[in-house]
This record gives sequence, C-alpha cells and structure tokens, in this order.
Amino acid sequence: MPLFGKSQKSPAEVVKALKEAVNALERGDKKAEKAQEDVSKNLVLIKNMLYGTSDAEPQTDIIVAQLAQELYNSNLLLLLIQNLNRIDFEGKKDVAQVFNNILRRQIGTRSPTVEYICTKPEILFTLMAGYEHQEIALNCGTMLRECARYEALAKIMLYSDDFFNFFRYVEVSTFDIASDAFSTFKELLTRHKILCAEFLEINYDKVFSHYQRLLNSENYVTRRQSLKLLGELLLDRHNFTVMTRYISNPDNLKLMMNMLKEKSRNIQFEAFHVFKVFVANPNKPKPILDILLRNQEKLVEFLTRFHTDRSEDEQFNDEKAYLIKQIKELKPLTEH
Amino acid sequence: MFKHSIDMLMFEADPAHYQLCSDLGHCCEDIATVHLARHLPSGTLVAIKKFNMDKSKQEANLIQHEIILTRQLQHPNVLPYYAAFVSGPEVVVVAPLMAYGSCRDLLSSHFTDGLPEAAIAFILRDVLQGLDYVHRKGYIHRAIRASHILVSSCGRACLSGLRYACRIVEHGRWQRSVHSFPCSTACNLNWLSPEVLEQNLHGYNEKSDVYSIGMTACELANGVVPFAHTPTTLMLTEKVRGCAPQLLDHSTLPSLYDDDGGQQSALHDSGVGDSVASNMMQLKAVQQRRFSEPFHQLAELCLQRDPTLRPSASQLLAHSFFKQCRQRHADTAPTVPRLLHPVMPICDRRVDSQDDLASILAAEKLAELEIEPDQWDF
Repeated sequence: MPLFGKSQKSPAEVVKALKEAVNALERGDKKAEKAQEDVSKNLVLIKNMLYGTSDAEPQTDIIVAQLAQELYNSNLLLLLIQNLNRIDFEGKKDVAQVFNNILRRQIGTRSPTVEYICTKPEILFTLMAGYEHQEIALNCGTMLRECARYEALAKIMLYSDDFFNFFRYVEVSTFDIASDAFSTFKELLTRHKILCAEFLEINYDKVFSHYQRLLNSENYVTRRQSLKLLGELLLDRHNFTVMTRYISNPDNLKLMMNMLKEKSRNIQFEAFHVFKVFVANPNKPKPILDILLRNQEKLVEFLTRFHTDRSEDEQFNDEKAYLIKQIKELKPLTEH
Repeated sequence: MFKHSIDMLMFEADPAHYQLCSDLGHCCEDIATVHLARHLPSGTLVAIKKFNMDKSKQEANLIQHEIILTRQLQHPNVLPYYAAFVSGPEVVVVAPLMAYGSCRDLLSSHFTDGLPEAAIAFILRDVLQGLDYVHRKGYIHRAIRASHILVSSCGRACLSGLRYACRIVEHGRWQRSVHSFPCSTACNLNWLSPEVLEQNLHGYNEKSDVYSIGMTACELANGVVPFAHTPTTLMLTEKVRGCAPQLLDHSTLPSLYDDDGGQQSALHDSGVGDSVASNMMQLKAVQQRRFSEPFHQLAELCLQRDPTLRPSASQLLAHSFFKQCRQRHADTAPTVPRLLHPVMPICDRRVDSQDDLASILAAEKLAELEIEPDQWDF
C-alpha cells in the first residue's frame, strides 16, 4: 500500500458520491447504467474502509468516525435501504455489510448507530417490509437480525404493527425466504428475555391466535419450526406467566395431543416437549385434568410405546417415565 | 454460462411446474435424493434435489444454511439454486442439470485410476475461479472434494456442497482466523487441512480450502482420495506431521520390481489400498503414466503443512499448470467432453424411461398412505 495513495477519497466525498449515484438510480433516467456502476464502486470503497482488504487494514477509527457521521447526516442508510431493489446483486450484499459494520460501532458503552436508528425507525420498517420482495429479502434479513441484537431496536420492531407480518413471511412459498424470516422472527421473540416476556404477556391473545395458524400450517417446515419455538418459549422461565396461561387452555392441550400422533416423527417429538408441560403442571385446571383423565389409559399405553428407539437420550427417557408415572397417578378433583 | 438473473426469475417455487423424469442418485448422507426433472413451462431439463426434512435432525440447519447461502452467491462456477420450496415433508431445490454428474461419479463409473491430466486442469481451473469468488465474498468452503464438483454437459465445472461453509466476516469484522469446527463433517475428514483437524487456538482461514484443493487434485488424478484406507486417527497424525500426499505416477510410485516394503508403505501413504494392489495391471499402468511437472508442483504447493506458505485461490489460477487451458486451436483443442469420452452426459434422448418415473410415483403414493391411528377422546 503506497504511503501517498493516489487521490484517496475522504469519507465525505465517498458518501456524497454514493448519495448522488443512488439518487440517479432512483430517478431511473438514461444514465441509470452509469449510476449503477457508481453505486457499486462507492459501496466497495466504503466497505473496504470498514473491513479492509486482503492487502490493506481497515481505516483508522477517526476515518471510520467521520464516515459514520457522514452516513447519519446524509440520511444515506435509509436511502440505500429504500433503493435496495435497484442496486445490483453484489451491491445489495455490500449494503448489508456496510450497514452491519456501522451498526456495531461503539464509543465507550454507547452505540451511536443504534441511537441514530432509534430516531429514524423508518429504517427498521423498511427493512421489515423487505421480506415482501424476493430479490432483497435475504439481504434485509441479515440486517434485521443484526438490529435485533440491540434491545432498543428489537423493542421498536416487536411493538410495531408490522411485526405481525412475520406470521405471513415465515410461510411464503420460497423456502429460503420463509426460513430466513423465521430466524429473524425467533430472534425477536427470544433474544431479550424480559422485553420478550413483557411483549408476549401484553399481546398474548393476538400473538397466540396468530401462532395457532403457524402450528396448523400446511407447510411442514413452518409447522415443525413453530412447534419447536413454542416449546422453547414455554420452557423459558422468563415466560412463566405466558406458559401458565397457555397450559390452562384445553384447546392447546388437544392440539398437542393430536400432534403427538402426527405422521412426522420430528413433529411428534417436538409436541412431546410442549405436552409434558401440561402434565407436569401441579395445578391443572379442571378442563385440562378432565381431558387427561378421559385418556388416562390410552396415554399411558401410547407413551410407553412412544419413540422407544431413543434409548441414548437419557433426558427424554427420564421425562417420559415421569410423565407416565404422573398420568397413572392422576385422580379426579375431590368435590368439596 | 448461466444467465442468472433471467434464469432465476423463470423458475417458480411451485411444485406443479416440475415433472420428475428419473432418479439420479442420493446425496448428503441419504437425506436427499436427486432427480432429473422437466421444468414444464419452459421444457428445460433441471436437476431436483429433495431433502427429506423428517429424516434429518441437526442436518436440517445445515440444509437451510446451504440454501440461503447458495441463493446469495452468483458465479458461473458455483452451482446456483434456481428455486427452493417445501412440498410435504421435503424441501425441494431446483438446480441446473449438471449432465456429467459429480467428479466422484466420473471416477467411480469410468476413470477408476483417475481422470486425464488435461481434464483435471480444466476442472480445477473452474473450481478455483468459483472458490476465489467464495473467498472474496467472505466464506470458507470447508468441504471441497470430487463429489462436490459437478460438470455440465459443455464441460464447465461448478462447486457445490456449501452446507459446510462458514463465514470469515463475523461481528462486523473480517476475521484473521476462524475456530469453529464444521458439524456433520465426518465424511469430509480426509480432505480437511491439518489446521482444521487440529482444532487448536491458531484456528484456520481460507487457506485451508487450498489444502483441500490439493487433496482433491490427488483424488482426481489417482482415482481415490489420499488416506482413503487409513484409520482416521492415523490420517490426522500423518497430516499434522506434515506428510504430504502425492500424485501417483512413475516418479512417485516405486517400480513394481522394488522390494515389497517400499511399495507397501508408498501405497499406504497415498491411500491407494487393496483395490489397486490387487490388480497388478492397473498398478503397472499407474506406474508408467507421467503427470507433468507443473501438476506435481501444484499439488505440492497446496498441500504444504504451513498454511501461510500455500498460495491463495487467485494466485493458484496464475500457476503454469493452467497454461494448457489457454491453448485454443479451435477444433483440435481438447475440451472436457472430448477428454471425458466415452462417458456420456445425460441429455434429452436418454430421458424416456417411464419405468423409473412410474416407480417413483408408486413409492410416493405408498408413502402418503396413512393408517389412521386410534383417536383421542376429547
């Protein structure tokens, strides 16, 4: 790397050039091809400042700080995301890499980019809407999951109306997009325990009525993934209130008992991990107890033959033995 | 070349658009089956990979990772996925038909002693171009081997098998080294570099793929991967000690008439075990062939114990071994299809056996039969 590289552009110059190019791309006039080229070129310049290249280290903190400041002042992050579908294939990924690096910037304990995005929540909403568009969905996904790491940003996303669109995104026919959306969805619902528990408590009815649809989805992968996540959510001690509410509803028990008998072994297995919570509950409401009692013998017999080939999975076998014992010992509530 | 942007739009995530024609084989430890299929709206032949998600446990994540990663890469030498969708308990992936199959198929079906050197040059050049792209995009492939190299009807090689790949860029930084050990990788151990296998604090970087290129070069040239018949732990210690496998020809295989001891150990080290030893004629042919000096050098460069001494994928592309790919005398120039003669690519003419199709459909019907179990009493 030469000491005096020829005309090394300053952060302000690169950001300005990129902004002009994106604007030109947005206008879509005759010079679109040239604009595309300029967008790609300047994105690579910014990316190299942040990440370095095989023969150059990343730029110094001062340069990166200047660059970040220019990005905030010019509102370029939002502009890039709004025009992501117009940027070429490799350029889209460069936008995501630049965004993710800038997002992680720290000054002491402060995260200036996170603070900046809190004042510009359109950035988050535009990214979430990205799942509507095949050609940018995965790029938006990588940026969203990076944002979800920050509680302040996760909160904005969880409490926005757009959050409920995820129940649709995780079921789209394109597998890569659906499963990417599911990763983001899961991240939002599990990353920040207290925030998530609070959100689920406040929005219990809305969330679980939507969630029910995922559990009944036609799409095998959606059904399996959402069932697994349900198990994780219920077994997380932060979600105790939510869990108690969920296992008091007989409809939920019926659904799980039916899923225990699904054709797919993986679904049976995941259903077992939700079903066990109903049985293990020391204060079973009467409707729950009644269902279990009505099926007492069938359940004992069913569980005895359930996944007997998992002999290596000690925890599973202990849990299964415990459930069988519990169900055998069930007695009707004594009337007072 | 694939016209990606156009092709990608054409293939929709709709099962009704694809008609299965025949079975091409299994892959990914039998979790997936590969089929020849016709894309009905356009009439083109494609390959369809069906992953049975109900059979997979931890592999489900790998498959998801592979599909999402593959969809974010575009290079003529990286196998693209046109579409991916869920159908029943299966994830179905639509890919271009690679009519010669994988290099492993070529070795197993016809070239049991190895491919011709000129064919290897074309194939490795393509693979390195693909690999260089993968590295520049910030990924380490971690599973380069003949079975992950597919050859199209015109002889272009594509890299596949991205489910084992990992990111070099983490936490918003380009990492100097990576420490994670690939999961479900038991089948790839022979190709992995000593630094990946050691799992020590130094970690590894994209140069570990260059080592795997060296192993793959040996595999393509010898017909069998080095250490194929060596117990895993011995393979590991040999690699860590710096034992570099070689291309087998007159210069590296001791003469047939040497004392037995030398011959045995050479065979042992290079992994060509009983299969070759049991066939003296074959052994003789291997001993008499001559690989070019640049080819030997290339393998040696890649298989160096110290990763910092290995060239990068892009540096390797400038190696003199690949000069032979640049000669172009129109009709006399060797092309991969000519070099692979008499192996024939799958083509339209060979897609008429309806028996295959009938048996697939019958099997699928059977699988759908569901015996209603005893119902709960609510």
